[in-house]
Amino acid sequence: MNELNVARVVPVADIGNPIERLAILFDGHYDRLYRLARRLTASADDALDLVQETFLKAARYPRSIPVGFANEEAWLVRVLINIRRDQWRKNLTRSRFEATVCGKSPLGPTNGDLEGAVIARASVWRALDVLSPRRRAIVVMRELEGIAIPAIASLLGISQITVRWHLSMGRRDLTTALKAYTEE
Amino acid sequence: MKSITELLRDADPLLHESMTSSEQRDYRRKAILAVASRARDRAGAEPRSRVTLLVTLGFVMIVVLFFAERMWSPLVSNVYAAAVRFEVKLAEEKPAAGLHEAKVSGTDRSVYLHADAIVTNSDISQAYIIQADHSSQYNVGVEFNPSGTGKIRAATARHIGKPVAILLDGQVVMTAIVREPIAESAVISGDLSRTEAEKIVKGITTIR
Repeated sequence: MNELNVARVVPVADIGNPIERLAILFDGHYDRLYRLARRLTASADDALDLVQETFLKAARYPRSIPVGFANEEAWLVRVLINIRRDQWRKNLTRSRFEATVCGKSPLGPTNGDLEGAVIARASVWRALDVLSPRRRAIVVMRELEGIAIPAIASLLGISQITVRWHLSMGRRDLTTALKAYTEE
Repeated sequence: MKSITELLRDADPLLHESMTSSEQRDYRRKAILAVASRARDRAGAEPRSRVTLLVTLGFVMIVVLFFAERMWSPLVSNVYAAAVRFEVKLAEEKPAAGLHEAKVSGTDRSVYLHADAIVTNSDISQAYIIQADHSSQYNVGVEFNPSGTGKIRAATARHIGKPVAILLDGQVVMTAIVREPIAESAVISGDLSRTEAEKIVKGITTIR
């Protein structure tokens, strides 16, 4: 025991009733998780399913959820990203097959009308699929949610250098995937 | 020419879609809580044959330990050696009569402990591992039984703004300032590996 360090303040929380705790978790974190999930997935339905899967995992492992709002949020965000990563790996295999066998058309700009703009937006959003979910989450948090790098590192439990590296690689991959749009 | 950031912001689906409706949200909430509730009920309803088996196994263990103690006391003393003595004591930051100084593990700090423990192993209903912020670090959660809850609530209510100390095997492993009365549960947090956390959990629940 000698190597134990002094710890933080003793958190006092009622973690006795898992159902009540799950309800509190849902009410406190649902909106934040949905926003992230929507930006990691192709459709609102996929995002809803992803958030639901995350809370079901919380329901299965109530004892592994840390105490405190920020810790809970970090745990849920990491679970959500891990679930998305499993889905992404399955989809990646399928999309490689489609690209090879079915000859799917590459991304590119369309005409300037309204329909074209909608398609362009969808194409840009589809380009994010080239990023792994963790990298995509980092890009989304930084570029769309405006979260500072230290806060992202803390949320995902990784170093700031790793966050910067993912951001740099993510921007590079997106620049390549969206070349047609950035050179418009 | 647009930057990556501008392209992403233009394409952000949340710009063009509304958040989920309250009906959708309530529907998902109910579904999740219903699944959790069913899972809990299933876990609570142990098959009778399994319970009987566990009771039998428990009885056999007691008999084996009883004879082992008489026949081979060193073995039994090792079993007890694995136990971890858990105590929570009120503490002060300055020395005074009746208090004794104790080093806080892993630091140069000292606290001054009151003689009596507020709660001990017998006041714990269960202990379990909680994964901390980083996946390689673990905390130990402790839930007190009604007697322990009453004792720690009463003691810490009169000790707001002052420290309490958690001791494992007589060593102060952590201190914390009481911000509000501690009630049903507490968390022992620190740089614990999973093995250390498991050892503490098993050790805490070994002594009753």
